[in-house]
Amino acid sequence: MSRPAAIVGIGQTKHKKRRDDVSLPGLVREAAQRALDDAELTWTDIDAAVLGKAPDPLEGVMMPELSMADALGAAGKPIMRVHTAGSVGGSTALVATHLVQTGVHDRVLTVAYEKQAEGNAQWGLAGGRSGGMGAGGIFAPWMRSYMARSGAPEHIGWMVAVKDRRNAAKNPYAHLQMPDLTIDDVKESPMLWDPIHWHESCPSSDGACAMVVTTEGGAARAPHPPAWVLASAMRSELGTFPGRDPVRPQAGVECAHMVYEAAGITDPRRQVDIAELYVPFSWYEPMWLEGHDIAGAGEGWRMVESGETQIDGSFPVNPSGGVLSSNPIGASGMLRFAEAAQQVRGRAGEHQVPDAKVGLGQAYGGAAQYFAMWVVGATLDAVDQKR
Amino acid sequence: MSDAKPEAPDDGSVRMMDYFMQLEYHEPLCPVVMRYADELLQGHVTGHKCPRCGLVYAPPRGYCPICVVETTDQDEVVLSDRGVIANYTVVTPVQYYGQQETEPFVRAGILLDGEGGMMNLQDVVEVPVDDVHVGMRVEAVWKPEAERSIEDVTNRSWGGAEGCIVGWRPTGEADVPAEQLQGRAF
Amino acid sequence: MEDIAIIGYAQSPSWRQADLTEPQFLFPVISDAIARAGIDRRDLGFTCAGSCDYLSGQTFAFVSNLEAVGAWPPISESHVEMDGAWALYEAWVRLQHGDIDLALAFGSGKSSPGDPAEIYPLQMDPYTITPLGADPVSLAALQARAMLDKGTLTEREMAETAARSRASAAGNPYAQVSGPSDVDALLREPYLTAPLRRHDLPPISDGACAVIMATADKARAVCERPVWIRGIDHRIEPHQPGMRDLTESLSTRQAGTHAGVGDKPVEVAELCATFSHQEKLLREALGLGDEVTVNPSGGPLAANPVMAVGLARIAEAARAISERGAQRAVAHATSGQCLQHNLVCVLEGG
Repeated sequence: MSRPAAIVGIGQTKHKKRRDDVSLPGLVREAAQRALDDAELTWTDIDAAVLGKAPDPLEGVMMPELSMADALGAAGKPIMRVHTAGSVGGSTALVATHLVQTGVHDRVLTVAYEKQAEGNAQWGLAGGRSGGMGAGGIFAPWMRSYMARSGAPEHIGWMVAVKDRRNAAKNPYAHLQMPDLTIDDVKESPMLWDPIHWHESCPSSDGACAMVVTTEGGAARAPHPPAWVLASAMRSELGTFPGRDPVRPQAGVECAHMVYEAAGITDPRRQVDIAELYVPFSWYEPMWLEGHDIAGAGEGWRMVESGETQIDGSFPVNPSGGVLSSNPIGASGMLRFAEAAQQVRGRAGEHQVPDAKVGLGQAYGGAAQYFAMWVVGATLDAVDQKR
Repeated sequence: MSDAKPEAPDDGSVRMMDYFMQLEYHEPLCPVVMRYADELLQGHVTGHKCPRCGLVYAPPRGYCPICVVETTDQDEVVLSDRGVIANYTVVTPVQYYGQQETEPFVRAGILLDGEGGMMNLQDVVEVPVDDVHVGMRVEAVWKPEAERSIEDVTNRSWGGAEGCIVGWRPTGEADVPAEQLQGRAF
Repeated sequence: MEDIAIIGYAQSPSWRQADLTEPQFLFPVISDAIARAGIDRRDLGFTCAGSCDYLSGQTFAFVSNLEAVGAWPPISESHVEMDGAWALYEAWVRLQHGDIDLALAFGSGKSSPGDPAEIYPLQMDPYTITPLGADPVSLAALQARAMLDKGTLTEREMAETAARSRASAAGNPYAQVSGPSDVDALLREPYLTAPLRRHDLPPISDGACAVIMATADKARAVCERPVWIRGIDHRIEPHQPGMRDLTESLSTRQAGTHAGVGDKPVEVAELCATFSHQEKLLREALGLGDEVTVNPSGGPLAANPVMAVGLARIAEAARAISERGAQRAVAHATSGQCLQHNLVCVLEGG
């Protein structure tokens, strides 16, 4: 069976380099409590919890659903812990959504987090060894390849970096608050992984995101407008086989087409009002615009350059500030999904895109090999309205 | 373990506790990697060529994940130690526990001549970092035989040649046109 | 709920120390399960894996395991940082949508490279318990002590469980510790961590397990003897061992009730009793009488490939039905120390 699922509560923490004012459970409860409050539900209303986060060595706590069961109000309930690398926040939301869609549960709390200042993220990402590539080192050659293939001018990445930080200034939860960042600031910032500069890269953040997923009945009783899950998909591919193209991964193309088809979207550029895409390094914005067939080959960077992806453009990308402005790794995917949902609920505050009815959330992970995507709508027929 | 200083003023309240843990994992090299390591000691780069699809895996994994078939010594191929830089980045090192790098270092994917195979995450040496580019022809710089070591080779080696190959140096030959290599990450 | 059946399963042997890497010993297990199910790999609609980075000693360790699946062209798959039994649960939920009819779940792990006394304290509350260095054997010993003091268990019963498990394991080609033992001789052995002796502990094992599930129409079309999943549920308890009655498994009881264990007589139970004292505890939690055959495979005392051992209980329970003529079996998986998180699955023949 597959019945409609709705998001009726969304919460997130203030994302910061280091949240030394809360413990691990404290961080998670801050987001979860906000989601429950948004839904006007309590812990006892929840049937099951689904937790997601990136590798445990980032905090030094193994299988944290065990030690956080109480903090998540999960005693006596089922709890799952999803781990799909960078896409985990997205796939966690999907696992929670499936539980409601299939009738297993009626109200599911899903939380994704990272408190990476507890450990040393660079060490963790390096597998504990010297000479780690860092968060972006693996992707830098692929971004270089995109630039070469597409002929994109070098300032495209800098434009994305400025756009997302200016958007973040409208988002009180975002980690980086740099409303005055300029193209020159980005261009002149130190090189991290040639050709990617400091300001073109995501920060390392502590943060959490939570949502309450429920049924049509639950949505009808909710105090605020719900976001309806119109479609969802997960798609993965091998990361490192000879001849693989990681610049336009096939799994990403397929994942996008699966959600478009399921949602009834035939022209994403026209029918999607706002997209929250996982862009941890600036060039991934044009790369995903092309990699998910929103723009044609070599056209993604033109959408950036023309201003279409600005918050007041025709295809706003990452009005929340995106991963470039807040990156608690395990939560970032769920933040994309949640921000897309907030937009179609009309509850994105200062970074609200007017009249957003259809939103796209996307997360990726690993060697750009894991993809999770969803399409959310203000109504169940939001896409139909856009024929 | 953290390397960031707490932001809160010291008012006597306990806000952080340091917990430094050390875990040791001892995993013997699997036969495929052991043989690969032995060949490295002797100055050979070897890979496995899938008997079904012909893809060359360097270092070898003991299977072809595309065809989902086992590969064995029967499928071993000796690869060239000359090739071309197909992709690269220059990493500015971040300090963390265990980090030994202090200066920007190159990590390149070297597409090998002959049978093919791509050695990823390789160091490029004897050339200024700024001169490294896609299309540059390179050759392996081997450590003298007596100095070679495989003690850092693991079942999950990233680059797979540490301890035996110092890095890859330009041969001085004409570049391979970059357009021919644009797609090549693996 | 849709009727879902297990139509194929496979395991690797459990080794004290595998000389192959995890992806290397995993991929024939997956290929084998697919072959036994009589399906085409490309017909799988969803795959879910279970494994643990800290067990593997590497962040993102599960990424290499994807190479054992056949993930090119791309597939729909996910991963839980939990035993493969929970990967099976996620795949079972996915099949409920009705748009796909085949799913693969697997679990794998190598316990041999690391030291459990170093690793598992990290699984506990980091503020109050991890710093104590509370290792799995000590915590299990506390639980066994509580049962002994309560009078619900004797050391002889523990030794009998161990001896019976090893004897049963002689018939299991995948088991690691098997053969006859003399209970009195076992009881003469010194304690390792009182009241636990070596035979009360599981072995250190490397291994993998894979299970294929199908929706009803597909199962009937391709499988002679599908094993139906009549109920599946899991529950977690409060974390702090001091807050729980360690002599009972409330969450197993709850999961068993939700899964419908007591609806009809049970013939066989494969229980994840990692320590000998836990078998009796779990029997009681699930209301299993003496007529129920427990762990004919030998159970975790004979082979304990962490991250696959729970899924292997499901596979062995399925085997009891499809190969050994049982009609109704229960499988149990556990996570965390002292049975904090428990999954129960009820299986029936056609």
